[in-house]
Amino acid sequence: MSLFAYARPKALGEALKLLKNGTIALAGGTDLITLMRHGLAEPDALVDLTGIEGLRGITREKGRGIRIGALTALSDVEASADLLRSLPIVPESLRDAATPQIRNMGTVGGNLLQRNRCWYFRDEGVQCWLKGGKRCFAVDGENRYHAVIGAHECWIVSPSDLAPALIASDAEVELASSLGRRRIPLAGFYVAPSGKQRKEHAIRRGELITTVRIPEKALERKGTYVKAMERKAWSFAIVSVAAAARVRDGKASDVRLVLGGIAPIPWRVPAAERVLDGTSLDDNACLAAADVVLKDATPLRDNGYKVTLARELVRRALRSLMS
Amino acid sequence: MPGLRVLKSRDEFEGEIYTSTVIVEGDDLPASRDGAPTAEIGRARPRVDGRNRVTGRAMYTQDVRLPGMLHAAILRSPVPRARVRAIDTKKAEALPGVRAVLHRFNAPEIEFRGEKTLFRDEVKFVGDEVAAVAADDSQVAQQAIALIEVDYEILPHVVDLEEAIGPKAPKIDPDGNVHDAGEYKRGDFRKAFKDADVTIDVTYRTSTQMHNALETHGAVASWDGDRLTVWESTQAVFGVRNMLKDALKLQPTQVRVICEYMGGGFGAKLGTYKYGVIASLLSMRLGRPVRCVLTRREENLAAGNRSATLQKLKLAGKDGRIVALEHESWSNSGQGRWAANPTGPSNTLYDIANVSSTAHRVTTNAGALSAFRAPGYVEGTFALESAVDELAVAMKVDPLTLRKRHARSVTDPRTDNRYSLKRLLECYAIGAHEIGWSKRRNAGMRGSQPHRRRGLGMATQIWGGGGGPPAYATVHIETDGTAVLRVGVQDIGTGTRTAIAQVCADELGLQLDQVTVRLGDTDAPYGPGSGGSVTLASIGPAVRIAASEVREKLLVAAGGILEMPASELRIERGSIVSKGARTPLKEVMPKLDNSTIIGTGIRHPNPDKLAIKTFGAHFAQVEVDVRTGEIFVEKVVAVHDVGRIVNPLTAASQVQGGIVQALGFALTEERVVDRGLGRVMNANLEWYEIPTSMDVPEIVVRFVDVPDRKANNLGAKGLGEPPIIPTAAAVANAVANATGARVRHAPMTRARVLEALAMVGAS
Amino acid sequence: MTSLRGPNAVDLTLNVNGHDRSVHVPPRFSLLDTLRGPLGLTGTKLVCDEGDCGACTVLIDDRPVYSCLTLAIAAEGRRVETIEGLSQDGTLHPVQEAFVEHDAYQCGFCTPGQVMSVVSLLRAKPDAREDDVRRAVSGNLCRCGAYPNIVAAGVAAAKKKR
Repeated sequence: MSLFAYARPKALGEALKLLKNGTIALAGGTDLITLMRHGLAEPDALVDLTGIEGLRGITREKGRGIRIGALTALSDVEASADLLRSLPIVPESLRDAATPQIRNMGTVGGNLLQRNRCWYFRDEGVQCWLKGGKRCFAVDGENRYHAVIGAHECWIVSPSDLAPALIASDAEVELASSLGRRRIPLAGFYVAPSGKQRKEHAIRRGELITTVRIPEKALERKGTYVKAMERKAWSFAIVSVAAAARVRDGKASDVRLVLGGIAPIPWRVPAAERVLDGTSLDDNACLAAADVVLKDATPLRDNGYKVTLARELVRRALRSLMS
Repeated sequence: MPGLRVLKSRDEFEGEIYTSTVIVEGDDLPASRDGAPTAEIGRARPRVDGRNRVTGRAMYTQDVRLPGMLHAAILRSPVPRARVRAIDTKKAEALPGVRAVLHRFNAPEIEFRGEKTLFRDEVKFVGDEVAAVAADDSQVAQQAIALIEVDYEILPHVVDLEEAIGPKAPKIDPDGNVHDAGEYKRGDFRKAFKDADVTIDVTYRTSTQMHNALETHGAVASWDGDRLTVWESTQAVFGVRNMLKDALKLQPTQVRVICEYMGGGFGAKLGTYKYGVIASLLSMRLGRPVRCVLTRREENLAAGNRSATLQKLKLAGKDGRIVALEHESWSNSGQGRWAANPTGPSNTLYDIANVSSTAHRVTTNAGALSAFRAPGYVEGTFALESAVDELAVAMKVDPLTLRKRHARSVTDPRTDNRYSLKRLLECYAIGAHEIGWSKRRNAGMRGSQPHRRRGLGMATQIWGGGGGPPAYATVHIETDGTAVLRVGVQDIGTGTRTAIAQVCADELGLQLDQVTVRLGDTDAPYGPGSGGSVTLASIGPAVRIAASEVREKLLVAAGGILEMPASELRIERGSIVSKGARTPLKEVMPKLDNSTIIGTGIRHPNPDKLAIKTFGAHFAQVEVDVRTGEIFVEKVVAVHDVGRIVNPLTAASQVQGGIVQALGFALTEERVVDRGLGRVMNANLEWYEIPTSMDVPEIVVRFVDVPDRKANNLGAKGLGEPPIIPTAAAVANAVANATGARVRHAPMTRARVLEALAMVGAS
Repeated sequence: MTSLRGPNAVDLTLNVNGHDRSVHVPPRFSLLDTLRGPLGLTGTKLVCDEGDCGACTVLIDDRPVYSCLTLAIAAEGRRVETIEGLSQDGTLHPVQEAFVEHDAYQCGFCTPGQVMSVVSLLRAKPDAREDDVRRAVSGNLCRCGAYPNIVAAGVAAAKKKR
């Protein structure tokens, strides 16, 4: 790891001023420090955000949804009484995310901004497409954990457990930079790397996530998160499914279905959600929706099983909303 | 010298029989007849070094810091095969803090591990050593190796086992990639196979498993101008000493190796590797201590692994018995020059009349294999015991019943020697009872949740573990009446220190806390490496003799001081006891001034014409989600016949640990290598997934616990390896029982389970 | 305005095991390297150096974290606890005692990290049950596979507290 300077400002304004070229924001560090150790990030300076008090905490205001500060530790999200009561899908998504230590260190903002775990990308000795190279080595290489859908030049998968759950909750992220603030749907925050866009997030240089907002309407849905892993803990999702729906009189409406681990971005297909509108989320409806989600899947040599798994996890997640 | 004899001893190590010369002096002690617990033996004792382990005070190689110590880092090949045409070290040497750079153009000629050089002119795998740097701190050393410029002439490579066997593969060895690694025959396989009622012909695969001991390999070497002292994380202090003295052309007395605590050894630490020679060489050159500790990635590239295998088995049944077995195997040895032969269990486990086996070693451009906890036997037992179940299904016979028919024999089929002891049928009986085998149904059972099926499976293990000579112990009594036991073995975490303290205390009549154990230091007389499950069965009997000698001398001395005949005295709980009186040793010993009492013990040879083996059986209960391919191992029952159990607490730990490691092999652990790049993609603990606390089932451990009196004077045998051997097959058999789907490739990942389930339409 | 420190070595004050300790290290130094190097506290182990194993677990403000992924400079102003701070005047902490009694280790290399995770759990949840302990150490790998005894030790320590 090369040398860098460090600052821990106490105010957001100060932090934004410090964030210029060659500077990277540090929160929990669970991803950034590993990227730096493998030469995948080489900042001149780190701006440690953890001294900024205003960016931490979960607030629930009747009628105004939920606000989660970007610096809130994942373990605090997991244990939040407000969330467990009003939006259990979010704490549920973190239950099997990484480890207790990483959830203590990691923050909401950092989780949403974590980079992919592709083993070619993470290997500093491999110059893959995403790092400016000519090709994606996974396409004809070792691809059991890679994307089955939605990939262009790069077959990474979105690794976050939190992101699908938040997208299924219609979350928006508030971003700040020294130039101002903006708010975008979390779903639009992720980009599948392609063309000139060799990155996974729509964040701009000098910008920070300050807050995640969940609208009141999303709290009326029932939601669940299921995750398939290779071992029983401490694995990234092979496939994960966040599902949410308004359920009344045995009928579902306003369905959200977001998959992790199968595409370069959290994978949401609105057409599949519409298939489920007005159904009782019976097996047939669920599998029909799964087929719409996976219609364009083009598995690689070793990851066809992900399609089988995704189909079944979609069915299970949706079915459980009725129980 | 009266009573001195020079004999040959035949001992088994890692599945092979070796003959060695041993010097024997005096008579051995008899073993306990019934094996009932005594004051210390057979008692569950917390470890004598437990305090050091839980307070962070235990000093591991990684923790050794010496004044003036330099740090070495190794530049490793980024390509799987290339000729090193030139190396430019100018930039590296110009970096402040760099003290030396070693590479093939400036290193001395050193013979090591069968090669004539430390740094190859043709590097043969990603991770192969190209150069080394010593610097003031490790960050500078790392920076320096990044500044070394190497001109590689890239050569064609192959990393995959089955590709390397194929006709299109580049020849990595001049004589081809496939080499013979053992053949065995008894009876007439072909005829028996042809005449049989039922036959199966199946192929199994196992993936490369990486040790990932938590403490990586490493050494701190310190040359004082005359003598080299090396701290190394090793399973064999004498193994390291001998390799270093040979490589560096030093006398045995010029090399001292120390390893008091070590952070995990599963076979890959039975000697040193190039890092140890490099640290030593740099220390000798620079006159300062040099530390060379591998990173996790280096550990997984260049410090050993369990070979991937391809195994073809043919089994035949007739009249309710297995009549023929053929086993052919290919093992990916990488750059290793030997194979861990997987056919051992097929050759020896069952009384089958017609057996034929052939093993092949395959060279590839990957890191060399090393021993890994029951090398060959883990891979081979997965195949053999899966196949036996497949045959049982075809023969329509209960798989345990079929095994019992072949487990009664009391002679080793390979040598016709009688077993010193064999209690396998008892293992079966206890295990079947504990798991509830009688409730097993051929078509499996309903699971606890929708889409889940439940099944039971079992498998058998055979292994050596008898240990043998040479091994020595000395015991002396301190002026405070406590004993100091000194041995040349090491405690790799199995509890050796505690078990031999128990043996010593028991024989001497001391309390456990009155024995201090000094081990892990080649300044003691020779002790064997801790591999092949030999440590306790080798050193324990020597400790007993040494302690017994001290006891006899002590009684005579105490008799003199207390003015009583020695025959009326005994030692109990640290006191000399006579009729009606107890005198603590701490009161007796000061009366001897500085005179002390010393006893020595040797390990006597193993009995001639007897086969010393360990046996065991594991039973697994699993559930399988037939839609997602997820395996839930709910319970594993392990029953072992390993002779007398010295410490039931640490013995149970060994079994639990073996099962956990085996579950990794069975379910998740698999080295992934990109064939084009030749790079290991998961040389880390992220994508190389070893079991976590959440992956562990209920584990029931039982021992037959009958002393093997013919084996040695303790009646104890080894337990390090037996529990890792049968677990994967037991789980695979339970999965097949639950679902009808047979997974023939370990690890049984989601992808493989789903594929097998799809084949039988089980969803 | 907060100013940048480094990139070369800077003076830091770390509160470790209840004592303020001064060190002079560059910002790139991890807490783990700082504990093991300048502070000489080698009880905390280095295994993977990338947050994949848990051997470097220490407590910061009572919560278990990976010290390999924590910068020493970022731990300024926080309470750091390591394995060396647990036993006082030679008396083992109840969790340490339970580990010894239950043989909750083999090689012992992961033990300091496991102990810290269990200590933290029992502070937050004195009545922890088996499942709590199992989850609390799910971020601490043990290659020897001592998990059954680690969990048993954690449960026993909790029972003693009750």
